[in-house]
Amino acid sequence: MNKAFVRMIGATFAALSLAACSSEQNGGEQGLPRLLLGSVQEIVSSRRAGPLPKIELTPAMLAQANTAVLQINPEVRGGSDFLRRIETRRDSFGGTVEVWRASDDAQVFLRNGVVIGTRGIGGDIIAANAAVTVNALGTRRDSGGIREYTVSDGDVTATSLKFRCDIRNLGEESISLVNQVFTTDHLRETCVSSADPTVQFRNDYWVQKSSGLLRKSRQWMGPAVGSFELLLLND
Amino acid sequence: MILRLARKTAFAGLLGSACAAPMAGMAQDATQYFNVPNRPTLNFYGMTGLIDMPSGEALPDGQVAVGISTFGGSTRTTLTFQATPRIQASFRYTGIKDATFSAFDTYRDRSFDVRFLINKERRYLPAVTVGLQDFAGTGIYAAEFIAATKNFSGARLPGTLKATVGLGWGRLGSSGGIGSPFGSDRPAFVPGDTGGEVSADQWFRGSAAPFAGLEWQISDKWGLKAEYSSDAYDLETASDIFDRDSRFNFGAEYQISNGVRLGGYYLYGSEIGLNLQIQLNPNRPVARLRIPAPRPYFVRPSRSEAPQEYSTDWAASEAEASMQVRDALIPLLEAEGLTLIETRTTASTTEVRYSNDRYTATSVSVGRVARVLARLLPESVETFRIVPVVNNLAQSAVIFRRSDLEALEFAPNAPDALLAVTGFSGATPALPGSARNEELFPKFNWSIGPYVTRSLFDPEEPVRFGAGLALNLSYQPLPGWKVAGELRHRLVGNIDEVSTANNSVLPRVRTDAGLYDTASDTSIPQLYVSRQWKTAADVYTRLSAGYLERMFGGVSAEVLWKPVASRLALGVEANYVKQRAFDDILGFQDYTIATGHASAYYEFDNGYTGQLDVGRYLAGDAGATVTLEREFDNGWRVGGFFTLTDVSSEEFGEGSFDKGIKVTIPMNWLLGRPDQSTRSVSLRPITRDGGARLSVPGRLYEQVRSGHRQQLVENWSGVWE
Repeated sequence: MNKAFVRMIGATFAALSLAACSSEQNGGEQGLPRLLLGSVQEIVSSRRAGPLPKIELTPAMLAQANTAVLQINPEVRGGSDFLRRIETRRDSFGGTVEVWRASDDAQVFLRNGVVIGTRGIGGDIIAANAAVTVNALGTRRDSGGIREYTVSDGDVTATSLKFRCDIRNLGEESISLVNQVFTTDHLRETCVSSADPTVQFRNDYWVQKSSGLLRKSRQWMGPAVGSFELLLLND
Repeated sequence: MILRLARKTAFAGLLGSACAAPMAGMAQDATQYFNVPNRPTLNFYGMTGLIDMPSGEALPDGQVAVGISTFGGSTRTTLTFQATPRIQASFRYTGIKDATFSAFDTYRDRSFDVRFLINKERRYLPAVTVGLQDFAGTGIYAAEFIAATKNFSGARLPGTLKATVGLGWGRLGSSGGIGSPFGSDRPAFVPGDTGGEVSADQWFRGSAAPFAGLEWQISDKWGLKAEYSSDAYDLETASDIFDRDSRFNFGAEYQISNGVRLGGYYLYGSEIGLNLQIQLNPNRPVARLRIPAPRPYFVRPSRSEAPQEYSTDWAASEAEASMQVRDALIPLLEAEGLTLIETRTTASTTEVRYSNDRYTATSVSVGRVARVLARLLPESVETFRIVPVVNNLAQSAVIFRRSDLEALEFAPNAPDALLAVTGFSGATPALPGSARNEELFPKFNWSIGPYVTRSLFDPEEPVRFGAGLALNLSYQPLPGWKVAGELRHRLVGNIDEVSTANNSVLPRVRTDAGLYDTASDTSIPQLYVSRQWKTAADVYTRLSAGYLERMFGGVSAEVLWKPVASRLALGVEANYVKQRAFDDILGFQDYTIATGHASAYYEFDNGYTGQLDVGRYLAGDAGATVTLEREFDNGWRVGGFFTLTDVSSEEFGEGSFDKGIKVTIPMNWLLGRPDQSTRSVSLRPITRDGGARLSVPGRLYEQVRSGHRQQLVENWSGVWE
């Protein structure tokens, strides 16, 4: 019985591995085995690859960029990407919202530089309030309050996460981005989940003294992806 | 900017390196940012417990577990579902080798368990559970228990120590009994009994015996277990299947991955055992869905700043304006994976009817259409009526004010804020005066691909397969009309060796399945023509005729009433069908039957859904089917059903009445990319002829519901994704 069984399983897989064809050209009609194989391969290859190196821009490269550039450096995955600004808007919630687009079409929403949303990453931040933080970065004063995130669970449902955050001005710091040196105020925001105190994250902000621009930051981008470094190379 | 930069050589290489990886840019592997929830381990019965004994704990709400255990000739495969925070239910398939007490070499049986968590663990009080094991089957594992479990951690001991004590009856009261507190009349297990009846009269009767055990979770990976068992294994030891030399069992378990745990054990002083425990939670997708980012839309200047922009001259002729909007919309929706069916616009309101072949959640497609409209339409259009359509059935009209979309895109609580100002209403059956997408009909689709069928729980061979090629054809000459068929040819498998013995005393409407399997390698499971349409905003209608399913062909008519915002739906279905020939090509047999049901569907809170069907079944028996399911917002469904008819349990045969469980998994939950398909499994412990319902393709309720208020709201965040 065993041999027959093994042969039968083998034949079944052989039948399954035949590619399904159809008149529909979209991905929904692809055979399940192929799709599963595809996703497993992606997971394996991304695990094997390990973290990608961060990219350091040279002054010459930066000089060629004559529009706004935001460099992002994901901490967990590694690597870098350079985002371009595709939308700037003022709304009734205070500050200016900017939408930045990555090379893979993913997006980051910033309100005065503070992350209030992401799209196309997976486990995205659907919406977030940033009033407390935006205010503190504006005044550069110690502050605190509740930050609330609506985070996608990755299956078109969302969870609301509440954090109690504390913002401290750690004083003046000089930072350098490529060949530019900026005098900044360094503010640190420490956030603790209201539901589970063991869940915490920390954001750092370097606000340019002269312009009030958020030149450099390290911000939490949701539970799925962890924290990113954001560098405003050109505004 | 990136594109422009990319032309310059210095950046070209740089961007190349950033784009090379398949998930370049910002996509990342999921990291365990948040703690894994408390995950109690399973016993040999595939439910929370020690080794062979149960414990007092429940699984996290919604958890689905599969346990496969083997020792002493017994192999148990169990599917367990934590249906509510307190109720745990299981379905088990058991094989006992060399079972001299039965007619077969390997005795195979199915059993259902249910448990109720009386007390959740608190600081001083333990978790307490009362449970019924094999409460409605043959009773081979029949037992009842009450168990208490308390966790201890801290002090000098690393990890967590779990202590369990309990009292068992039936099988769990067969060794080390302390008397019979609730009476002593308990019938013994009778092999070959039809089973299936709820044996409430024997619960907690007979001898009671204590059991106890310890589980030490040393680390995240390793755990040790020891227990004192109150199961004498009378049946197995009497048949010399194994020797029970001790009451004590020991084991070690290793957590292989987040969802998989493997244990090795030494049981009853003589046996080595293995237990594979698989746990997953529908609320935690295997792969996070990554929906491509939407394009931000254009925000209009205010009317006071730019009054000329709000001119309505463009819509002087509504017919012409509608056609212009249609021509612009077709490619824009296509880019989002959506198909425009028709649109009608005035200077202030635009209605769009479209079909969605990409996103599982209708809410995502609604959001995408709204964005396209906000980007495209002249400023004077303030109201968007967005109507998802499934096979000619306009599901609902989702009504947005454009200024709300503009104001709330980056709001702190964007989903809730938008929901509060969104209207949901019934969609009219047709949209008079609209500009239609002329390219849609006639439409011809075909696909050819592999298929797999299975036959479960045959006493000779519990799992049988058939696999081969299937050709599917469908032709839609006009909206709502469909001619569809499937041709199958089996290439491999042993399903054609399935037993065709049949002792049914009812008309053999289902028990002849084996004859269909063995008759022919080539079959036509379906070949029919159907038409579906709406007769009013809340009323949906379907007519079908042809070879409706594998075993029956005929005519079928259905009417469904389901208002967009109502939790209740009512339906009527009437069919007149004739039994098909076994070779499944185009012939019929003599048996004909008029069958039909009146159905009520209800969406309870927290995702529980219920369905009641009352009517006449295929064998001519009359009765009702009750279906209860838990539906997760992401589309996972787990539930059960049972049917009681005027057929007596003797006439019905093994199992006494029809019942089963059903699990549905959305594919995007597994794949992490938009995909509308689902995989659904219905498991019946045994299929008999009583309480059998016709399986008609294209029943209305599920087609209609995905675009109604309840389901849209469950996935409302998707509007912004």
